Order: sequence, then structure tokens, then C-alpha cells
Amino acid sequence: MISSDVIRGHIDTIILKLLLEKDMYGYELANEIKQRTQNKFDIREATLYAVVQRLEARELISSYMGEKSLGRKRRYYRITSLGKAYYREMIEEWRLLREIMAAMLGSDIS
Amino acid sequence: MNRIKRFVSQLLKDLFNDEDKKELIEILTTSLEEKVDDLVEQGTPVDEAIDKSINEFGDAKDVLEAFPDKASLKTGIIRKRRNQLLFATFGYLLIGGLAIFLNLTFINFLDGFKWFVIVLIGVFFWPLSMLYLYLMAKK
Repeated sequence: MISSDVIRGHIDTIILKLLLEKDMYGYELANEIKQRTQNKFDIREATLYAVVQRLEARELISSYMGEKSLGRKRRYYRITSLGKAYYREMIEEWRLLREIMAAMLGSDIS
Repeated sequence: MNRIKRFVSQLLKDLFNDEDKKELIEILTTSLEEKVDDLVEQGTPVDEAIDKSINEFGDAKDVLEAFPDKASLKTGIIRKRRNQLLFATFGYLLIGGLAIFLNLTFINFLDGFKWFVIVLIGVFFWPLSMLYLYLMAKK
């Protein structure tokens, strides 16, 4: 289990990646992260939704109300073109970071 | 679902300015309600679903995690609490002073009993509670 301290700066990238695959609503995002990381990444929903709000304020994602078969509506998020550009930048940064860490720590981390 | 709204408002009580807060409350509330809906759909009783959602949600500290400039938010809370403390102390001195003045100059009933003491003790809860909130915020 990794605490959110280490990974905090990368929650943005994770959310953008998920929305790049398909539009999702808030709790769906939380579930998806939980499943894919097999609960190794302990992000609180409070943090996740607050990040979502921040991303929307920065216009990296936008939201719309989607119909649900029965009952209440859901608020879906989709990535904007600005968000896609930002995501590509983040990926570049990650590649660089990975190269640096691999060069420094080498076989210890593989 | 009123419990969820109340929970979220309480959670964000001392954070953010009103403009940001409205949007954040909206998103947090909607997301929580979606979770409750999903749980209910999977067969959980409504009350239990709400309890579970709220318990798993996290606290104000977790919300602040999302904001890299959260240090400034914390400073904001501390400043607000300090102002409240100063205001309370000032108000206490004003009310206390007035009580002493009235007691000693005009209204000398109860056989010279110094009733201003009761006022002083009674109103003391005000700066005291503000001091408590200030120290809590600072921690």
C-alpha cells in the first residue's frame, strides 16, 4: 500500500488517463483506480473528487449530466483537448523520470 | 440524501472561499450520491449505503491533499481563527469593562455585591472557545 504523499502529484495524470479511455462518473473513477491497482494505491475519495474539481476548473476535463436508467442522474467527466495535450506532456515527463531513475538505481529496481 | 449534503458542508466548513466551495460541494455531493446509488443498486440498504459512503470518504485533510498550494489554505484558516480570537478578546474586554463601570458607578444594588464578576465569568466562554479553535487550527 502506497500512501498518497508519494503519488500525489500524479493523481492528475491517472485521472486523465482513465478519462482518455472513456467518460466516467466520479465513483466510477474511484472504483476503477481501486481495481486496477489492486488496492495498492490508497487514495481517499475526498482527495480524488477534489482533484477532479481542480481539473475541471483548469479546463483539462469537462462534465455533463448523463441519464441513468432508473432514478438519479450522474455527472460524467470527459477529457478536453487541453487535457489531452497536458496528458502527453505528463507522459513525456514520466519517461524522463523513468530513464533517470533507471540510470541511477539500475538493476536494484527491476 | 440530506445527510450527505450536511456531511459535505460540514467537511468544507472552514476551507476555501465561497466561489470555489460551491463547485466543490456540488462535485463531492454528486459523487457521494452516485456511490450510494451504486451500492443500493447492488442490494445494500439505503441507510447502510450512506453510512458506508460517508465513512470511507475521508476528511478535510484528504480534500486539502488535492491542492498543492494547501499550505496557503491552512494559513488562511489560521488567520481567520486569529482574527476571531482577537475580536472575541476585544469584545470580552468591552463588555467586561462596561459591566465593571456600570456596577461601580451607577447600579449598586444587591448591597454592594460585585455582580460584574458574574458577567466577566459568564462571557469568558467566548474568547476561551475562540482560543481553543485557534489552537486547533494551528496544530
